[in-house]
Amino acid sequence: MSKYVYFFGCVIPNRYPGVEYAVRWVTGKEGFNLDVCDQSEFSCCPVPGIFYSTDKDTWLLLAARNLVLAQDERREVLTVCNGCLSSLLKATEYLKDPKNMGKVNRVLAQIGKKYTGIPQKISEGKRKIFEPVKVRHYVEVMTRDVGLKAIKEKAQHPLKNVKVAVHYGCHYLRPTEHATFDDLDVPVMIDNIVEACGATSVDYEDKLDCCGAGGGVRSHVIELANSLTQDKCNNMAAAGADCIVTGCPFCLLQFDNAQKSFPGEGIPVMHVSQFQALAMGIDPISLGFDTHNVSAHSFLRKIRGT
Amino acid sequence: MREAEKTFIGGLHEELVEDKVIDESQLEPDFAKEIRKYGGKDVMTCLQCGNCTGVCPISLKIDYKTRTLIKYCQFGLKKYTLGTRWVCATCYRCYEHCPANLNPAEIMIALRHIAVREGIVPPFVKTAATNLVNYGQSIKPDPDIDKVRKELGLGKINAEHPDFRKVIREIGVLVHASKYDKLIGIEAEVKM
Repeated sequence: MSKYVYFFGCVIPNRYPGVEYAVRWVTGKEGFNLDVCDQSEFSCCPVPGIFYSTDKDTWLLLAARNLVLAQDERREVLTVCNGCLSSLLKATEYLKDPKNMGKVNRVLAQIGKKYTGIPQKISEGKRKIFEPVKVRHYVEVMTRDVGLKAIKEKAQHPLKNVKVAVHYGCHYLRPTEHATFDDLDVPVMIDNIVEACGATSVDYEDKLDCCGAGGGVRSHVIELANSLTQDKCNNMAAAGADCIVTGCPFCLLQFDNAQKSFPGEGIPVMHVSQFQALAMGIDPISLGFDTHNVSAHSFLRKIRGT
Repeated sequence: MREAEKTFIGGLHEELVEDKVIDESQLEPDFAKEIRKYGGKDVMTCLQCGNCTGVCPISLKIDYKTRTLIKYCQFGLKKYTLGTRWVCATCYRCYEHCPANLNPAEIMIALRHIAVREGIVPPFVKTAATNLVNYGQSIKPDPDIDKVRKELGLGKINAEHPDFRKVIREIGVLVHASKYDKLIGIEAEVKM
């Protein structure tokens, strides 16, 4: 079994602590008991919409600093956010180029750090072999390392009769040269987890469309971001969704905030880890739904059958 | 939407109307080269097929056409591409559908690089960079959320960890080494 280090990023610890709780709970003793530790020196990944967009050199330095920390722990980075995934994954790709690695290491030397990748036990004669630091997404780790069978077995309180609109988020899927773990035309991993939890994942129009928030659009032209979100929410509502489940806290934030300005109650939105935790019988009070804008009350009543 | 549209893509529309005459003095022949410098591919290889616009979620909402923007880049109409570049959600759909493998999303990112170097720094970029050098994260810690964290029994966020001062210094050194502090105008915030 692989060893991991949590990488929660910015949005989860500072906006949706319930997601952090859920992830820790599902991966911890009550759940699948993965070998995963904390690293309190991690900084922002850094966020691609800001740093990758304005200065790739700075972006790569900051990402490499985080990767060095994981490298020194000899662990795989367990990201819970599409943004962190795409930023760090892309950085490992950049750092495969010896020219980039050299350039980065010359600066990292100023803070006493060096990125090499993780040294492997097997070696080619005297030459040591290094593998790039592995950056994984929570959803992928759940599907591949834990397995759907185990997820199903642990879901002792299956969420029957719940219709879920799954939202993957752009950076889970694209660009395909980096994100290659799921089926890219018809991604299935989150749907499978949702179904393993006993719920039904409903199909809806334009399922793979953008939530509207990425690339700085939410921060720059919020009306534009929200109007994209509204289209998505309308399609989800038309399919009769009881809740939205996503693997990305930034999409979560967008769905959760944008729906404040739409008519109607809105569809509660949660991270896939929160959904899993519910099916595994957690007390919903620990999932921090009171920090969400769209109330999950009626949804929680429905799954309790009251 | 109208107001936002005016503010963010207005530059393109008001100045570049159909019968506008553009003379050579307005063209920047090295614009394509500049885009390549910041990681974009050669815009001259664009076939102008329009697939990128067809799959762009933003183009459904506002008058924003990826293909047109790339055409301006080919011509070297640098100043007319100003103002359009922060509406791209970097969903990378255009990349997946580009038969010339041009990766238009990365062109938009290169355009953002150029804009910042021309002194056009959107306020949210400055805010995020300021947060990064102060807290090591792109958003500010929220005291209300901190209360919830305590209730849930979650530990401190990294930014409030006692050892984190060292991290802030490290981030300061890196940001200063790449001259990002000067680029964004946050020199006063950087701690080293």
